[in-house]
Amino acid sequence: MTSTETSGTGGAARRLSPEQIRGARFTSGSMLHPGYDQSEVDRFRDLVAAEVGSLVGERDDLRRQVAELQQRLSGTAVPEPPSEQAVKILASAQQTADEYVAEAEDFSRQMTAEARDQYEEQLRLARENAGAIMQAAQEAAARLALPGGGDGDTTAGQRTTAELEEQVAFLKAFAQACRAQLRAYLEALLSDVETEWGRVDPALAPEALAAAQAGRRPGGTAAPQTAFHGNSAAGPAEVQAEEAERTATAGARATGG
Amino acid sequence: MDIAAMRASFAKAAATGDEAPLYFYSHLFLSHPETRAMFPVSMAHQRDRFFHALGEVVSRVDDLDALVPILKQLGHDHRKFGTLPAHYPAVMPSLLATLEHFDDEWDEHRARTWTEAYELVAAVMIQGAEESADQPATWRAEVVAHERRAIDVAVLQVRPEVPVNYLPGQSMSLEIDRRPRLWRYYSPANAPRDDGTLELHVKARPGGPVSTALVRSTEVGDLMRLGPPLGELTLADDSDRDLLLVAGGMGLAPLKALVDQVARQGPARRVDLFVGARTEDHLYDRAAIAELQAAHPWLTVTCAVSDDALSGLEHGDIGDVVLRHGPWLSREVFVAGPVPMVEATVGGLLAHGVPRERVRSEVFAPSRPGPSAEGKVTE
Repeated sequence: MTSTETSGTGGAARRLSPEQIRGARFTSGSMLHPGYDQSEVDRFRDLVAAEVGSLVGERDDLRRQVAELQQRLSGTAVPEPPSEQAVKILASAQQTADEYVAEAEDFSRQMTAEARDQYEEQLRLARENAGAIMQAAQEAAARLALPGGGDGDTTAGQRTTAELEEQVAFLKAFAQACRAQLRAYLEALLSDVETEWGRVDPALAPEALAAAQAGRRPGGTAAPQTAFHGNSAAGPAEVQAEEAERTATAGARATGG
Repeated sequence: MDIAAMRASFAKAAATGDEAPLYFYSHLFLSHPETRAMFPVSMAHQRDRFFHALGEVVSRVDDLDALVPILKQLGHDHRKFGTLPAHYPAVMPSLLATLEHFDDEWDEHRARTWTEAYELVAAVMIQGAEESADQPATWRAEVVAHERRAIDVAVLQVRPEVPVNYLPGQSMSLEIDRRPRLWRYYSPANAPRDDGTLELHVKARPGGPVSTALVRSTEVGDLMRLGPPLGELTLADDSDRDLLLVAGGMGLAPLKALVDQVARQGPARRVDLFVGARTEDHLYDRAAIAELQAAHPWLTVTCAVSDDALSGLEHGDIGDVVLRHGPWLSREVFVAGPVPMVEATVGGLLAHGVPRERVRSEVFAPSRPGPSAEGKVTE
């Protein structure tokens, strides 16, 4: 390869193009030096052309990527600080959300505490009653078992003891049933409270955030709309609270009756 | 760093109460919406804690010896929230904007002072986080058993994917999938076991979202995340004194872990465990404790009730019951339970003559702050 047509003109600044390589001409050799095998040179030239072609393609790709990334970077490098208005809107949306959560929690707290107090009080009363009745029964049984009564009294005494035992058994069962019922009632109350909590979902937050974000754009018209979004996002919680209240009263009525 | 100016502008922001932290978080979430997902739905408690922590920093900024360990611990604990070093610089513009908004004397000088201070704090917190980089930020754990012991108490067995390296008596915060971003502290009721499982005692607090879900709707197979263990309610290496353990309510868990530690690791010592409750129904772990007592001749357990006339157990507040069984002058004492119980018991034992340095106590209350009380808990 002694020369190419364009070798002198480009210099170091210009990169070799595939076309340049394809268009390369080789001077023929003398008789003594028959030169390069032409077909070999041709094959080599094609190889070089393909290689350089793919390199150029890759380079263009990379250049495009760099440009894209640079553009994206300059878009976020200096983020616009949020406007005063947007901050206020998000703050009030957050406050509203906080209030709803606090109300739900407080509601649940009161309800659970009341239900539990009731449960414990009833249980205490039931236990005290059962204890007193059992004690009375035992005393009565002891009195009857004392010798001194006639034969008829003994059978009467036995009957009374049996009755008393039966009564004691009944009372025990009654206390058990009371306990089970109270427990079921409390469970129902608690699960209402629970459902309420389960519905408060952090997934709602990004929506509210996105809504408030919209307020960042200049032009005040977006603001009232954003505020409206904030309110409507909080809406379902209110409905749920009411629902829970209704269920609770229904439950109370059921146990009362 | 102009500390006086720093304190002046912080005082102005703090004087607004909730307004300044509300402004700060709104500004932060608008500037970096991706950070919103790191916080719970309700931000009320978060705001209190943030300004409380900031106040601590501002008040101790001239006492770096005290401040640095606190900040390192804070940075260490923040890993569980998913906080990365890149998050720290993102917070600064919002903090500066907040201070500026509430400070009518804000100027270049104050901005510079706060920037320096913030960069310092962030650097120390990041360092704290990096120092603990050899352990996981959180441990994923699965519930392998769930047992309701009373209407509002459950005992759970959870298995972390990677065993947690903790000391018996320590607590760890946990977050359950059902209540994302709400972290609560619980103490394992066992010393580390070969299979790595932890026993957790949970009482459903009225209105408590996490405890209620843990007691009532958690099932075997549910997943949770555990934060790094911390707390000082642990046995000292350099003492083999006999122990007096006094538990009220859910304070039983860490003390049971100490009993377990003596059983597993020694040294041999006598242990007296007192468990107080209002009624017998509230003694949710009685069977397990009775088993422990039967298995270990060195262990004496006394259960007492304070408000259950029909009970055959000892009657009275647990602090008084303990004193009736004294003297305890030679013991290492651990007290855990609700505030009034801990105060009364510790007060009684000190009056009884137990030296202050041999009494350790921890309060177990609804949504209790972390054992080191630096405002790391989510509620």
